[in-house]
Amino acid sequence: MATVRRRLTPYLLLFPGAFWLILFFVVPMYYMARLSLDSGTLETGFKFTWQWSNYNDALTLYKDPFIRAFEYAGAATIIALFIGYPLAYAIAFRGGKWKNAMLFAVVAPFFTTYLIRTIAWETILSDQSPVVDVLKSIGLAPGGHILATAAAVIAGITYNFLPFMVLPIYASLERIDPRLIEAGKDLYASSRAAFVRITLPLSAPGVIAGTLLTFIPAAGDYVNAFFLGGTNNKMIGNVIQGLYLTNRDYPAAAALSFVLMAAIMLMVFVYIRFAGSESLMGEEATAR
Amino acid sequence: MRNAWGRTDGTGRASTRGLKLVVVAALALAASLAIAACGGGGGIEESGGGNTSVQTVTVSGKPSGDLTISNWPLYIDKQTVPDFEKATGVQVKYIEDVNDNQEFFSKIQPLLAKGESGGRSIVVVTDWMAQKMYQLGYLQNLDKSAIPNVEKNEVPTLQHRPIDPKDQYAVPWQSGMTGLIVRTDLAPDIKSVCDLFNPKYKGKVDMLTEMRDTVPLVMKCQGVDLNKATEQDWLNAIDKLKQAADSGQIRRFTGNDYARDLTSGDVDAVIGWSGDAIQLQQDNPDIQFVMPKEGCMLWSDNMVIPVGAPNPTAAEAWMNYVYDPKNQAQITDYNYYFSPVSGVKQILQKQDPPAAKSDLIFPTKEFTAKCDAAPELTGEEEQKVTAAFNAVVNG
Repeated sequence: MATVRRRLTPYLLLFPGAFWLILFFVVPMYYMARLSLDSGTLETGFKFTWQWSNYNDALTLYKDPFIRAFEYAGAATIIALFIGYPLAYAIAFRGGKWKNAMLFAVVAPFFTTYLIRTIAWETILSDQSPVVDVLKSIGLAPGGHILATAAAVIAGITYNFLPFMVLPIYASLERIDPRLIEAGKDLYASSRAAFVRITLPLSAPGVIAGTLLTFIPAAGDYVNAFFLGGTNNKMIGNVIQGLYLTNRDYPAAAALSFVLMAAIMLMVFVYIRFAGSESLMGEEATAR
Repeated sequence: MRNAWGRTDGTGRASTRGLKLVVVAALALAASLAIAACGGGGGIEESGGGNTSVQTVTVSGKPSGDLTISNWPLYIDKQTVPDFEKATGVQVKYIEDVNDNQEFFSKIQPLLAKGESGGRSIVVVTDWMAQKMYQLGYLQNLDKSAIPNVEKNEVPTLQHRPIDPKDQYAVPWQSGMTGLIVRTDLAPDIKSVCDLFNPKYKGKVDMLTEMRDTVPLVMKCQGVDLNKATEQDWLNAIDKLKQAADSGQIRRFTGNDYARDLTSGDVDAVIGWSGDAIQLQQDNPDIQFVMPKEGCMLWSDNMVIPVGAPNPTAAEAWMNYVYDPKNQAQITDYNYYFSPVSGVKQILQKQDPPAAKSDLIFPTKEFTAKCDAAPELTGEEEQKVTAAFNAVVNG
């Protein structure tokens, strides 16, 4: 009896999560997959006809925003890494008693909704704003405006996802035993060598988690491009949103969603392979 | 045997774990398919396909109860609804949830296909959309005996229009012009639609997401006679728009929200609607409606009664009420569009003389001489042109 119960316990523990996943992820996924193979229009009704050409048609028509989404997300991720790593480093090693206050400052913008934060950027970057005047005077606004350009969209994404980069990196830096670095220095490592050979490898899991947490949602984002972008800055998220909500071309929208998902999965897979799964899984995997 | 979640440290155990995971995953998938199958086909696929027999609304007795009206934002003053409620005892729920014909249609189409209107008794849509909905069997014919004011006061030019030759189903709410709204302080030289494509204004121009406003104006710039416009003419104009969008010439495609870009000075000029121009001008005199050299687009937004609409008696009472010139003058004096009701000008001459004199509200024949209604698109043509235009706006 006891053994049966012990055997069943994990399944019971798993049940709420699995139920949730099946109901709100697997089932909609199934419908989406079916929908992406429908043919027809809103007025005539949609019929399931294994319309594989939906994929090809949608991709041909929306190739540019598709590629753009990955370019913008990639650029934003790299910028966020270069801003986020030093920030996390400073908080973890030099924060002292201010550590919590600084972490709070990183998260604080999140008390405002995503939408409001992005609209605030729209105001800051509007053509008549002092910020843009300064940028113009030092020649950093080639077209005479920042809003409705790629720069504005990438800046917006970077800002909105920065905490997702900072927090994981901070968490892994925080765990590093400072004695390791001291030991390295005792063995005549320069500060730079100690950083490159000790701190950086040990913080790699944080870096990888941070880049994934930034890149994946950023690639599907549409809010930043909607408010901050112009006609030639649309990302694939905007296209999917438009097809779903305005044009109700469900099959094309579903097809694009699947291609986007596949592309992201492929990239993440290659990235993890390349970066090594040990660094993602942390010491536990390395120790084996 | 140890259960699946025990920590494995030997290779043999690991493979049984893998097997179990596969089994669990397969079960999950099977379960989901079973649930999906119970759903039977899914909601979206069943929708669509209108029937074409048109019913006539049944009006009976005195108006009472609740009335829900869907209209565009900034289209009515604050007083008309309460006045109507006082006069008739009907409770009005006036919602401003129409921002774009296509978007609104997409939202309510699944309901209409099932013969429901989502509680709405009246919706206000532009000519082409009214016609499309009527052809799909989504609208009802009106009982004309309950709307004598419409018969009596509707301006003659709006009677027997091509979209509704027998005046059976569509009652104009307001009409207006689509032309240029220009920041004359920033870009005093913009006089034509073609000027919007001048590199001087790169990134300083907004155009409308409403295809039947933007594309015909571009066709006019290209010298196309709209009465003879072919599918190729539409596609050529869309091509020009695509180039302008790709090069960053056009900043954004918008609806009413071009107002913000104009006010902040982020754009020099937009393709926009006449009533908006007058409303915006009151806050900033430099924002002005400019009649394009090529002429403008003329349109009406129409009150229609969808299938399944509750309380048609109150709905027709509302139509009748706003077609009383006295009540209509109050609306016109707020939104500054062309009034579909005769006699409004005489009333405004006393109440608001500048408005009564405005060419934008009571245009002379000469002023709108070069203006046209949007050319019709049929079936397959429409689908192809719409897809091309959507690709420019979305991509």
